[in-house]
Amino acid sequence: MIRIGNASGFYGDRFSAVREMLAGGGLDVLTGDYLAELTMLILGRDRMKDANLGYARTFLRQLEENLADALARGVKIVSNAGGLNPEGLAEAVDELGLGAKVAYVTGDDLRERFPEALTANAYLGAWGIAECLNAGADVVVTGRVTDASLVVGPAAAHFGWGREDWDALAGATVAGHVLECGTQATGGNYSFFTEIDATRPGFPIAEIEADGSSVITKHDGTGGAVTVDTVTAQLLYEIGAPAYLGPDVVSHFDTIRLDPHARGVRISGVKGSPPPDTLKVCLNTLGGFRNSTTFVLTGLDVEAKANLVRHQLEQAIGEDGLTWTLARTEHADADTEEAASALLHVTVKTADPKRAKAFSRAGVELALGSYPGFHVTAPPGDGTPFGVYRAAYVPRASVRHQAVLPDGEVVEV
Amino acid sequence: MSVPPKKVPLGTIAGARSGDKGGDANLGVWVRTDAQYEWLRGELTVERLKELLPEAGEVDRYELPNLKALNFVLHGLLGDGVASSTRFDPQAKALGEWLRSRHVDIPEALL
Repeated sequence: MIRIGNASGFYGDRFSAVREMLAGGGLDVLTGDYLAELTMLILGRDRMKDANLGYARTFLRQLEENLADALARGVKIVSNAGGLNPEGLAEAVDELGLGAKVAYVTGDDLRERFPEALTANAYLGAWGIAECLNAGADVVVTGRVTDASLVVGPAAAHFGWGREDWDALAGATVAGHVLECGTQATGGNYSFFTEIDATRPGFPIAEIEADGSSVITKHDGTGGAVTVDTVTAQLLYEIGAPAYLGPDVVSHFDTIRLDPHARGVRISGVKGSPPPDTLKVCLNTLGGFRNSTTFVLTGLDVEAKANLVRHQLEQAIGEDGLTWTLARTEHADADTEEAASALLHVTVKTADPKRAKAFSRAGVELALGSYPGFHVTAPPGDGTPFGVYRAAYVPRASVRHQAVLPDGEVVEV
Repeated sequence: MSVPPKKVPLGTIAGARSGDKGGDANLGVWVRTDAQYEWLRGELTVERLKELLPEAGEVDRYELPNLKALNFVLHGLLGDGVASSTRFDPQAKALGEWLRSRHVDIPEALL
Protein backbone atom coordinates (compact mmCIF):
# COMPACT_ATOMS: atom_id res chain seq x y z
CA MET A 1 0.00 0.00 0.00
CA ILE A 2 1.11 3.56 -0.70
CA ARG A 3 -0.26 6.47 1.31
CA ILE A 4 -0.65 9.63 -0.76
CA GLY A 5 -1.93 12.88 0.71
CA ASN A 6 -3.05 16.15 -0.84
CA ALA A 7 -2.30 19.59 0.60
CA SER A 8 -3.67 21.91 -2.06
CA GLY A 9 -6.67 22.02 -4.36
CA PHE A 10 -5.89 25.36 -6.01
CA TYR A 11 -3.41 28.24 -6.05
CA GLY A 12 -4.48 30.04 -2.88
CA ASP A 13 -5.58 27.06 -0.79
CA ARG A 14 -4.79 26.81 2.95
CA PHE A 15 -1.10 27.72 3.34
CA SER A 16 -0.59 25.66 6.49
CA ALA A 17 -1.90 22.47 4.86
CA VAL A 18 1.60 21.25 3.91
CA ARG A 19 2.73 21.53 7.52
CA GLU A 20 -0.51 19.98 8.81
CA MET A 21 -0.28 17.03 6.43
CA LEU A 22 3.37 16.31 7.28
CA ALA A 23 2.88 16.59 11.03
CA GLY A 24 -0.55 14.95 11.19
CA GLY A 25 0.44 11.34 10.52
CA GLY A 26 2.26 8.96 8.23
CA LEU A 27 2.50 9.58 4.48
CA ASP A 28 4.63 8.29 1.62
CA VAL A 29 3.89 11.11 -0.80
CA LEU A 30 2.38 14.57 -0.42
CA THR A 31 0.82 16.09 -3.53
CA GLY A 32 -0.50 19.53 -4.30
CA ASP A 33 -2.62 20.82 -7.19
CA TYR A 34 -2.08 24.49 -8.00
CA LEU A 35 -3.37 24.74 -11.56
CA ALA A 36 -6.83 25.52 -12.86
CA GLU A 37 -7.80 26.87 -16.27
CA LEU A 38 -7.96 30.33 -14.73
CA THR A 39 -4.64 29.87 -12.91
CA MET A 40 -2.82 29.25 -16.18
CA LEU A 41 -4.00 32.67 -17.31
CA ILE A 42 -2.84 34.31 -14.08
CA LEU A 43 0.58 32.64 -14.40
CA GLY A 44 0.71 33.66 -18.07
CA ARG A 45 0.32 37.27 -17.06
CA ASP A 46 3.01 36.83 -14.36
CA ARG A 47 5.33 35.46 -17.01
CA MET A 48 4.65 38.44 -19.29
CA LYS A 49 6.00 40.69 -16.51
CA ASP A 50 8.99 38.49 -15.60
CA ALA A 51 10.12 35.47 -17.63
CA ASN A 52 11.58 33.89 -14.46
CA LEU A 53 8.12 33.61 -12.94
CA GLY A 54 5.16 31.61 -14.16
CA TYR A 55 5.11 29.10 -11.30
CA ALA A 56 3.05 29.00 -8.10
CA ARG A 57 5.14 30.99 -5.66
CA THR A 58 3.11 29.89 -2.66
CA PHE A 59 4.41 26.35 -3.12
CA LEU A 60 8.01 27.58 -2.87
CA ARG A 61 7.19 29.38 0.38
CA GLN A 62 5.54 26.24 1.70
CA LEU A 63 8.71 24.26 0.90
CA GLU A 64 10.92 26.88 2.53
CA GLU A 65 8.99 26.18 5.70
CA ASN A 66 8.53 22.41 5.37
CA LEU A 67 10.98 20.74 3.00
CA ALA A 68 13.48 19.86 5.75
CA ASP A 69 10.66 18.20 7.67
CA ALA A 70 9.50 16.28 4.59
CA LEU A 71 13.05 15.03 3.92
CA ALA A 72 13.48 13.98 7.54
CA ARG A 73 10.23 12.03 7.41
CA GLY A 74 10.99 10.52 4.00
CA VAL A 75 7.85 12.01 2.43
CA LYS A 76 8.15 12.68 -1.31
CA ILE A 77 6.63 15.90 -2.65
CA VAL A 78 4.84 15.87 -6.02
CA SER A 79 3.21 19.02 -7.34
CA ASN A 80 2.13 20.74 -10.55
CA ALA A 81 3.14 24.08 -9.03
CA GLY A 82 5.69 24.47 -11.84
CA GLY A 83 2.87 25.91 -13.90
CA LEU A 84 4.41 27.55 -16.97
CA ASN A 85 7.97 27.24 -15.66
CA PRO A 86 8.70 23.90 -13.95
CA GLU A 87 12.43 24.26 -14.63
CA GLY A 88 12.47 27.63 -12.88
CA LEU A 89 10.64 26.21 -9.89
CA ALA A 90 12.98 23.19 -9.73
CA GLU A 91 15.96 25.57 -9.66
CA ALA A 92 14.34 27.64 -6.93
CA VAL A 93 13.75 24.48 -4.85
CA ASP A 94 17.41 23.51 -5.38
CA GLU A 95 18.44 26.94 -4.16
CA LEU A 96 16.74 26.30 -0.84
CA GLY A 97 20.00 24.44 -0.20
CA LEU A 98 18.55 21.48 1.69
CA GLY A 99 20.13 18.88 -0.56
CA ALA A 100 16.83 17.54 -1.81
CA LYS A 101 16.93 15.57 -5.05
CA VAL A 102 14.73 17.63 -7.34
CA ALA A 103 13.32 16.49 -10.67
CA TYR A 104 10.85 18.05 -13.06
CA VAL A 105 8.57 17.23 -15.97
CA THR A 106 8.36 19.29 -19.16
CA GLY A 107 6.90 19.16 -22.64
CA ASP A 108 3.42 20.45 -21.93
CA ASP A 109 4.14 23.98 -23.16
CA LEU A 110 2.96 24.21 -26.79
CA ARG A 111 3.07 27.96 -27.35
CA GLU A 112 5.18 27.47 -30.49
CA ARG A 113 2.27 25.58 -32.03
CA PHE A 114 -0.33 28.09 -30.86
CA PRO A 115 1.44 31.43 -31.24
CA GLU A 116 -1.77 33.43 -30.81
CA ALA A 117 -2.25 32.07 -27.28
CA LEU A 118 -0.92 33.54 -24.07
CA THR A 119 -0.70 30.03 -22.65
CA ALA A 120 -0.97 26.69 -24.46
CA ASN A 121 -0.41 23.58 -22.35
CA ALA A 122 -1.10 19.95 -23.10
CA TYR A 123 -2.46 17.86 -20.26
CA LEU A 124 0.36 15.35 -19.72
CA GLY A 125 -0.10 12.13 -17.80
CA ALA A 126 1.58 10.31 -14.94
CA TRP A 127 4.58 8.61 -16.54
CA GLY A 128 6.99 11.53 -16.34
CA ILE A 129 6.33 11.80 -12.62
CA ALA A 130 6.87 8.04 -12.29
CA GLU A 131 10.25 8.32 -14.08
CA CYS A 132 11.36 11.06 -11.69
CA LEU A 133 10.36 9.06 -8.61
CA ASN A 134 11.99 5.88 -9.94
CA ALA A 135 15.21 7.89 -10.25
CA GLY A 136 15.04 8.69 -6.54
CA ALA A 137 13.64 12.22 -6.62
CA ASP A 138 12.53 13.71 -3.30
CA VAL A 139 10.64 16.53 -5.00
CA VAL A 140 8.93 16.38 -8.41
CA VAL A 141 7.51 19.53 -9.96
CA THR A 142 5.55 19.61 -13.18
CA GLY A 143 3.70 21.98 -15.40
CA ARG A 144 0.31 21.06 -16.82
CA VAL A 145 -0.28 17.43 -16.00
CA THR A 146 -3.79 16.21 -15.27
CA ASP A 147 -4.64 16.72 -11.64
CA ALA A 148 -5.09 12.99 -11.08
CA SER A 149 -1.58 12.29 -12.47
CA LEU A 150 -0.11 13.65 -9.25
CA VAL A 151 -1.56 10.56 -7.55
CA VAL A 152 -1.33 8.07 -10.43
CA GLY A 153 2.41 8.77 -11.00
CA PRO A 154 3.55 7.91 -7.46
CA ALA A 155 1.27 4.83 -7.34
CA ALA A 156 2.50 3.60 -10.74
CA ALA A 157 6.14 4.06 -9.68
CA HIS A 158 5.59 2.37 -6.33
CA PHE A 159 3.85 -0.71 -7.74
CA GLY A 160 5.75 -0.89 -11.02
CA TRP A 161 2.54 -0.72 -13.07
CA GLY A 162 2.80 -1.08 -16.82
CA ARG A 163 1.30 1.30 -19.31
CA GLU A 164 -1.49 -1.14 -20.08
CA ASP A 165 -2.53 -1.91 -16.52
CA TRP A 166 -5.76 -0.14 -17.36
CA ASP A 167 -7.81 -1.10 -14.31
CA ALA A 168 -5.09 -0.21 -11.82
CA LEU A 169 -4.43 3.09 -13.60
CA ALA A 170 -8.16 3.85 -13.66
CA GLY A 171 -8.52 3.04 -9.97
CA ALA A 172 -5.68 5.39 -9.09
CA THR A 173 -7.12 8.05 -11.42
CA VAL A 174 -10.38 7.92 -9.50
CA ALA A 175 -8.49 8.24 -6.20
CA GLY A 176 -6.62 11.17 -7.73
CA HIS A 177 -9.87 12.80 -8.84
CA VAL A 178 -11.15 12.53 -5.27
CA LEU A 179 -7.96 14.11 -3.88
CA GLU A 180 -7.36 16.86 -6.42
CA CYS A 181 -9.67 19.44 -4.87
CA GLY A 182 -8.40 19.03 -1.33
CA THR A 183 -11.09 19.44 1.27
CA GLN A 184 -13.93 19.19 -1.23
CA ALA A 185 -13.57 15.43 -0.57
CA THR A 186 -13.71 15.73 3.21
CA GLY A 187 -16.83 17.79 3.82
CA GLY A 188 -15.89 21.12 2.28
CA ASN A 189 -18.59 22.71 0.07
CA TYR A 190 -20.80 19.75 0.92
CA SER A 191 -24.58 19.84 0.45
CA PHE A 192 -25.27 18.03 3.73
CA PHE A 193 -22.79 20.15 5.72
CA THR A 194 -25.26 20.53 8.58
CA GLU A 195 -24.81 16.82 9.34
CA ILE A 196 -21.04 17.10 10.02
CA ASP A 197 -18.57 19.50 11.61
CA ALA A 198 -17.49 21.37 8.49
CA THR A 199 -15.57 24.15 10.28
CA ARG A 200 -12.06 23.09 9.28
CA PRO A 201 -12.00 19.92 7.19
CA GLY A 202 -8.76 17.95 7.09
CA PHE A 203 -7.06 17.36 3.74
CA PRO A 204 -7.64 13.98 2.06
CA ILE A 205 -5.41 10.91 1.82
CA ALA A 206 -5.65 7.93 -0.54
CA GLU A 207 -4.24 4.60 0.60
CA ILE A 208 -3.76 2.86 -2.73
CA GLU A 209 -3.31 -0.88 -3.19
CA ALA A 210 -1.43 -2.74 -5.92
CA ASP A 211 -4.66 -3.32 -7.89
CA GLY A 212 -5.50 0.42 -7.92
CA SER A 213 -8.26 0.16 -5.34
CA SER A 214 -8.00 2.59 -2.46
CA VAL A 215 -9.26 3.82 0.87
CA ILE A 216 -9.94 7.54 1.10
CA THR A 217 -9.24 8.86 4.58
CA LYS A 218 -7.72 11.82 6.44
CA HIS A 219 -5.42 12.28 9.41
CA ASP A 220 -6.85 11.45 12.84
CA GLY A 221 -8.10 14.43 14.77
CA THR A 222 -8.79 16.62 11.73
CA GLY A 223 -12.20 18.13 11.00
CA GLY A 224 -14.75 17.37 8.34
CA ALA A 225 -15.70 13.82 7.38
CA VAL A 226 -14.92 11.15 4.80
CA THR A 227 -18.16 9.35 4.00
CA VAL A 228 -19.69 7.76 0.92
CA ASP A 229 -21.59 11.03 0.48
CA THR A 230 -18.61 13.38 0.75
CA VAL A 231 -16.65 11.22 -1.70
CA THR A 232 -19.62 10.96 -4.09
CA ALA A 233 -19.88 14.74 -4.09
CA GLN A 234 -16.25 15.11 -5.18
CA LEU A 235 -16.51 12.33 -7.77
CA LEU A 236 -19.26 14.37 -9.45
CA TYR A 237 -17.14 17.54 -9.63
CA GLU A 238 -16.15 18.73 -13.09
CA ILE A 239 -16.97 15.55 -14.97
CA GLY A 240 -18.79 14.88 -18.23
CA ALA A 241 -19.65 11.47 -19.66
CA PRO A 242 -19.01 8.43 -17.43
CA ALA A 243 -16.03 7.48 -19.61
CA TYR A 244 -13.61 9.96 -18.04
CA LEU A 245 -10.86 10.67 -20.55
CA GLY A 246 -7.28 11.04 -19.41
CA PRO A 247 -3.89 10.95 -21.09
CA ASP A 248 -2.98 7.53 -19.64
CA VAL A 249 -6.31 5.74 -19.34
CA VAL A 250 -10.05 6.15 -19.75
CA SER A 251 -11.61 5.65 -16.31
CA HIS A 252 -15.18 4.39 -16.30
CA PHE A 253 -16.97 6.25 -13.53
CA ASP A 254 -20.03 3.99 -13.89
CA THR A 255 -17.93 1.10 -12.56
CA ILE A 256 -16.78 2.82 -9.35
CA ARG A 257 -17.85 1.02 -6.22
CA LEU A 258 -17.90 2.94 -2.92
CA ASP A 259 -18.18 1.25 0.47
CA PRO A 260 -17.92 2.61 3.99
CA HIS A 261 -14.62 1.68 5.64
CA ALA A 262 -13.38 1.96 9.23
CA ARG A 263 -11.04 4.79 8.22
CA GLY A 264 -13.25 6.39 5.55
CA VAL A 265 -14.40 5.08 2.20
CA ARG A 266 -13.14 2.22 0.08
CA ILE A 267 -13.05 2.66 -3.72
CA SER A 268 -12.93 -0.51 -5.83
CA GLY A 269 -14.07 -2.09 -9.05
CA VAL A 270 -12.94 0.71 -11.37
CA LYS A 271 -12.51 -0.40 -14.98
CA GLY A 272 -10.04 1.28 -17.31
CA SER A 273 -9.56 1.22 -21.07
CA PRO A 274 -6.94 2.64 -23.46
CA PRO A 275 -6.75 6.45 -23.74
CA PRO A 276 -7.45 8.44 -26.91
CA ASP A 277 -4.59 9.12 -29.34
CA THR A 278 -4.85 12.84 -28.70
CA LEU A 279 -3.96 15.03 -25.75
CA LYS A 280 -6.15 17.91 -24.65
CA VAL A 281 -4.55 21.35 -24.71
CA CYS A 282 -5.62 24.22 -22.46
CA LEU A 283 -5.42 27.48 -24.44
CA ASN A 284 -5.81 30.92 -22.93
CA THR A 285 -5.84 33.97 -25.14
CA LEU A 286 -6.23 37.56 -24.06
CA GLY A 287 -9.82 38.44 -24.88
CA GLY A 288 -9.69 42.15 -24.17
CA PHE A 289 -10.56 44.28 -21.18
CA ARG A 290 -13.46 44.16 -18.79
CA ASN A 291 -14.93 46.44 -16.20
CA SER A 292 -18.04 46.24 -14.10
CA THR A 293 -20.12 47.94 -11.48
CA THR A 294 -23.30 47.29 -9.52
CA PHE A 295 -25.97 49.95 -9.09
CA VAL A 296 -28.17 49.69 -6.00
CA LEU A 297 -31.84 50.39 -6.74
CA THR A 298 -33.82 50.90 -3.54
CA GLY A 299 -37.56 51.02 -2.99
CA LEU A 300 -40.10 52.02 -5.63
CA ASP A 301 -39.95 51.96 -9.44
CA VAL A 302 -37.10 49.45 -9.67
CA GLU A 303 -37.67 48.71 -13.37
CA ALA A 304 -37.89 52.38 -14.26
CA LYS A 305 -34.77 53.18 -12.26
CA ALA A 306 -32.89 50.42 -14.04
CA ASN A 307 -34.10 51.66 -17.43
CA LEU A 308 -33.01 55.22 -16.67
CA VAL A 309 -29.46 54.41 -15.63
CA ARG A 310 -29.08 51.94 -18.46
CA HIS A 311 -30.22 54.51 -20.99
CA GLN A 312 -27.85 57.10 -19.49
CA LEU A 313 -24.80 54.84 -19.56
CA GLU A 314 -25.52 53.61 -23.08
CA GLN A 315 -25.94 57.18 -24.28
CA ALA A 316 -22.59 58.11 -22.70
CA ILE A 317 -20.43 55.29 -24.09
CA GLY A 318 -22.62 53.29 -26.51
CA GLU A 319 -24.22 49.87 -26.11
CA ASP A 320 -21.35 47.85 -27.49
CA GLY A 321 -20.09 45.07 -25.21
CA LEU A 322 -22.36 45.90 -22.28
CA THR A 323 -24.13 43.10 -20.40
CA TRP A 324 -26.85 44.00 -17.90
CA THR A 325 -28.53 41.86 -15.27
CA LEU A 326 -31.13 43.09 -12.83
CA ALA A 327 -31.35 41.00 -9.67
CA ARG A 328 -34.76 41.59 -8.14
CA THR A 329 -33.61 41.11 -4.59
CA GLU A 330 -35.91 43.85 -3.23
CA HIS A 331 -38.89 43.16 -1.01
CA ALA A 332 -41.93 45.47 -0.89
CA ASP A 333 -42.48 47.41 2.33
CA ALA A 334 -39.21 46.03 3.77
CA ASP A 335 -38.05 46.81 7.30
CA THR A 336 -34.35 47.07 6.38
CA GLU A 337 -32.86 49.25 3.63
CA GLU A 338 -30.89 46.31 2.27
CA ALA A 339 -34.00 44.15 1.96
CA ALA A 340 -35.68 47.00 0.07
CA SER A 341 -32.92 47.05 -2.59
CA ALA A 342 -32.41 45.45 -5.98
CA LEU A 343 -29.00 45.15 -7.71
CA LEU A 344 -28.31 46.11 -11.29
CA HIS A 345 -25.03 44.61 -12.53
CA VAL A 346 -23.35 45.87 -15.67
CA THR A 347 -20.17 44.58 -17.27
CA VAL A 348 -18.34 45.93 -20.28
CA LYS A 349 -16.07 43.71 -22.38
CA THR A 350 -14.06 45.48 -25.02
CA ALA A 351 -10.89 45.18 -27.08
CA ASP A 352 -10.09 48.80 -26.24
CA PRO A 353 -8.64 49.55 -22.77
CA LYS A 354 -9.70 53.19 -23.21
CA ARG A 355 -13.30 52.10 -23.47
CA ALA A 356 -12.98 50.10 -20.24
CA LYS A 357 -11.78 53.32 -18.56
CA ALA A 358 -14.47 55.45 -20.19
CA PHE A 359 -17.01 53.09 -18.64
CA SER A 360 -15.76 54.06 -15.16
CA ARG A 361 -15.84 57.76 -15.88
CA ALA A 362 -19.33 57.59 -17.32
CA GLY A 363 -20.57 55.61 -14.32
CA VAL A 364 -19.09 58.07 -11.83
CA GLU A 365 -20.41 61.12 -13.69
CA LEU A 366 -23.96 59.91 -13.14
CA ALA A 367 -23.66 60.20 -9.37
CA LEU A 368 -25.74 63.38 -8.99
CA GLY A 369 -27.84 63.08 -12.11
CA SER A 370 -29.51 59.70 -12.22
CA TYR A 371 -32.26 57.78 -10.40
CA PRO A 372 -33.26 58.73 -6.83
CA GLY A 373 -31.09 56.97 -4.25
CA PHE A 374 -28.22 56.43 -6.75
CA HIS A 375 -25.27 54.57 -5.31
CA VAL A 376 -23.02 51.69 -6.27
CA THR A 377 -21.66 48.77 -4.21
CA ALA A 378 -18.10 49.70 -5.20
CA PRO A 379 -16.91 52.32 -7.67
CA PRO A 380 -15.72 50.86 -11.00
CA GLY A 381 -11.93 50.56 -11.38
CA ASP A 382 -9.79 51.07 -14.48
CA GLY A 383 -10.77 47.73 -15.97
CA THR A 384 -8.70 44.56 -16.20
CA PRO A 385 -7.62 42.28 -19.04
CA PHE A 386 -9.62 39.07 -19.38
CA GLY A 387 -8.81 35.74 -20.94
CA VAL A 388 -10.73 33.44 -23.20
CA TYR A 389 -10.30 29.74 -22.60
CA ARG A 390 -10.63 27.06 -25.21
CA ALA A 391 -9.53 23.46 -25.56
CA ALA A 392 -7.64 22.04 -28.52
CA TYR A 393 -6.42 18.50 -29.25
CA VAL A 394 -3.04 17.39 -30.58
CA PRO A 395 -1.69 13.94 -31.47
CA ARG A 396 -0.09 12.37 -28.42
CA ALA A 397 2.96 11.35 -30.43
CA SER A 398 3.63 14.98 -31.35
CA VAL A 399 4.20 16.03 -27.74
CA ARG A 400 7.67 15.62 -26.21
CA HIS A 401 6.91 14.60 -22.66
CA GLN A 402 10.24 14.65 -20.80
CA ALA A 403 11.41 13.91 -17.28
CA VAL A 404 14.49 15.79 -16.11
CA LEU A 405 15.97 13.64 -13.36
CA PRO A 406 17.80 14.88 -10.24
CA ASP A 407 21.20 14.30 -11.90
CA GLY A 408 20.14 16.31 -14.95
CA GLU A 409 19.57 13.36 -17.24
CA VAL A 410 16.68 13.92 -19.63
CA VAL A 411 14.39 10.94 -20.20
CA GLU A 412 11.85 10.81 -23.05
CA VAL A 413 8.61 9.57 -21.55
CA MET B 1 -46.46 5.06 -5.89
CA SER B 2 -49.68 5.16 -3.98
CA VAL B 3 -48.38 7.51 -1.29
CA PRO B 4 -49.22 11.11 -2.24
CA PRO B 5 -46.28 13.35 -3.16
CA LYS B 6 -45.33 16.44 -1.20
CA LYS B 7 -43.91 19.69 -2.63
CA VAL B 8 -40.53 20.22 -0.97
CA PRO B 9 -37.07 21.41 -2.03
CA LEU B 10 -35.22 18.78 -4.08
CA GLY B 11 -32.33 19.22 -1.63
CA THR B 12 -34.40 17.61 1.10
CA ILE B 13 -33.22 14.28 -0.31
CA ALA B 14 -30.60 15.19 -2.95
CA GLY B 15 -27.07 16.50 -2.69
CA ALA B 16 -25.38 18.29 -5.58
CA ARG B 17 -22.02 19.60 -6.72
CA SER B 18 -21.42 21.82 -9.70
CA GLY B 19 -18.47 23.43 -11.45
CA ASP B 20 -17.00 24.67 -14.71
CA LYS B 21 -15.27 23.09 -17.69
CA GLY B 22 -14.41 25.95 -20.00
CA GLY B 23 -17.70 27.45 -21.14
CA ASP B 24 -19.75 24.46 -19.96
CA ALA B 25 -21.03 23.82 -16.46
CA ASN B 26 -21.46 20.40 -14.92
CA LEU B 27 -24.01 19.61 -12.27
CA GLY B 28 -23.95 16.30 -10.41
CA VAL B 29 -26.95 15.31 -8.30
CA TRP B 30 -27.05 12.33 -5.99
CA VAL B 31 -29.38 10.69 -3.49
CA ARG B 32 -28.80 8.18 -0.73
CA THR B 33 -31.16 5.24 -1.22
CA ASP B 34 -31.99 3.01 -4.16
CA ALA B 35 -35.67 3.99 -3.98
CA GLN B 36 -34.72 7.67 -4.10
CA TYR B 37 -32.50 7.00 -7.10
CA GLU B 38 -35.27 5.22 -9.01
CA TRP B 39 -37.48 8.27 -8.40
CA LEU B 40 -34.71 10.76 -9.27
CA ARG B 41 -33.90 9.02 -12.52
CA GLY B 42 -37.54 9.17 -13.59
CA GLU B 43 -38.20 12.70 -12.36
CA LEU B 44 -35.10 14.67 -13.29
CA THR B 45 -35.14 14.41 -17.06
CA VAL B 46 -33.35 16.97 -19.21
CA GLU B 47 -36.72 18.66 -19.83
CA ARG B 48 -37.49 18.79 -16.11
CA LEU B 49 -34.03 20.18 -15.34
CA LYS B 50 -34.61 22.96 -17.85
CA GLU B 51 -37.94 23.77 -16.19
CA LEU B 52 -36.24 23.99 -12.81
CA LEU B 53 -33.22 25.91 -14.15
CA PRO B 54 -34.64 28.04 -16.97
CA GLU B 55 -31.21 29.58 -17.62
CA ALA B 56 -29.98 26.24 -18.99
CA GLY B 57 -29.56 25.84 -22.76
CA GLU B 58 -28.38 22.60 -24.37
CA VAL B 59 -28.09 19.89 -21.71
CA ASP B 60 -26.68 16.35 -21.70
CA ARG B 61 -27.62 13.89 -18.96
CA TYR B 62 -25.62 10.86 -17.81
CA GLU B 63 -26.70 8.16 -15.36
CA LEU B 64 -24.37 6.80 -12.68
CA PRO B 65 -26.52 4.22 -10.85
CA ASN B 66 -23.46 2.95 -8.97
CA LEU B 67 -23.20 6.37 -7.29
CA LYS B 68 -27.01 6.91 -7.17
CA ALA B 69 -26.24 9.98 -9.20
CA LEU B 70 -27.10 11.86 -12.37
CA ASN B 71 -24.60 14.15 -14.06
CA PHE B 72 -25.73 17.01 -16.26
CA VAL B 73 -23.53 19.02 -18.61
CA LEU B 74 -24.99 22.46 -19.32
CA HIS B 75 -23.38 23.54 -22.56
CA GLY B 76 -22.38 27.15 -23.07
CA LEU B 77 -23.78 28.37 -19.76
CA LEU B 78 -20.52 30.14 -18.91
CA GLY B 79 -19.83 31.73 -22.30
CA ASP B 80 -16.10 31.79 -23.07
CA GLY B 81 -15.09 30.31 -19.73
CA VAL B 82 -14.62 31.58 -16.21
CA ALA B 83 -12.20 34.43 -16.86
CA SER B 84 -14.43 36.14 -19.38
CA SER B 85 -17.91 35.12 -18.25
CA THR B 86 -20.22 37.94 -17.26
CA ARG B 87 -22.57 35.47 -15.65
CA PHE B 88 -23.50 35.71 -11.99
CA ASP B 89 -21.46 32.83 -10.46
CA PRO B 90 -19.09 32.50 -13.45
CA GLN B 91 -17.71 29.13 -12.27
CA ALA B 92 -21.15 27.58 -11.65
CA LYS B 93 -20.14 26.80 -8.08
CA ALA B 94 -23.64 27.32 -6.70
CA LEU B 95 -25.66 25.97 -9.62
CA GLY B 96 -26.23 22.74 -7.65
CA GLU B 97 -27.42 24.57 -4.56
CA TRP B 98 -29.85 26.55 -6.73
CA LEU B 99 -31.26 23.29 -8.09
CA ARG B 100 -31.54 21.84 -4.57
CA SER B 101 -33.65 24.82 -3.55
CA ARG B 102 -36.26 24.25 -6.28
CA HIS B 103 -39.52 22.74 -5.08
CA VAL B 104 -40.62 19.44 -6.59
CA ASP B 105 -43.22 16.78 -5.77
CA ILE B 106 -41.44 14.04 -3.85
CA PRO B 107 -43.33 10.93 -2.66
CA GLU B 108 -43.67 11.05 1.12
CA ALA B 109 -42.19 7.56 1.41
CA LEU B 110 -38.87 8.88 0.11
CA LEU B 111 -38.60 11.77 2.57
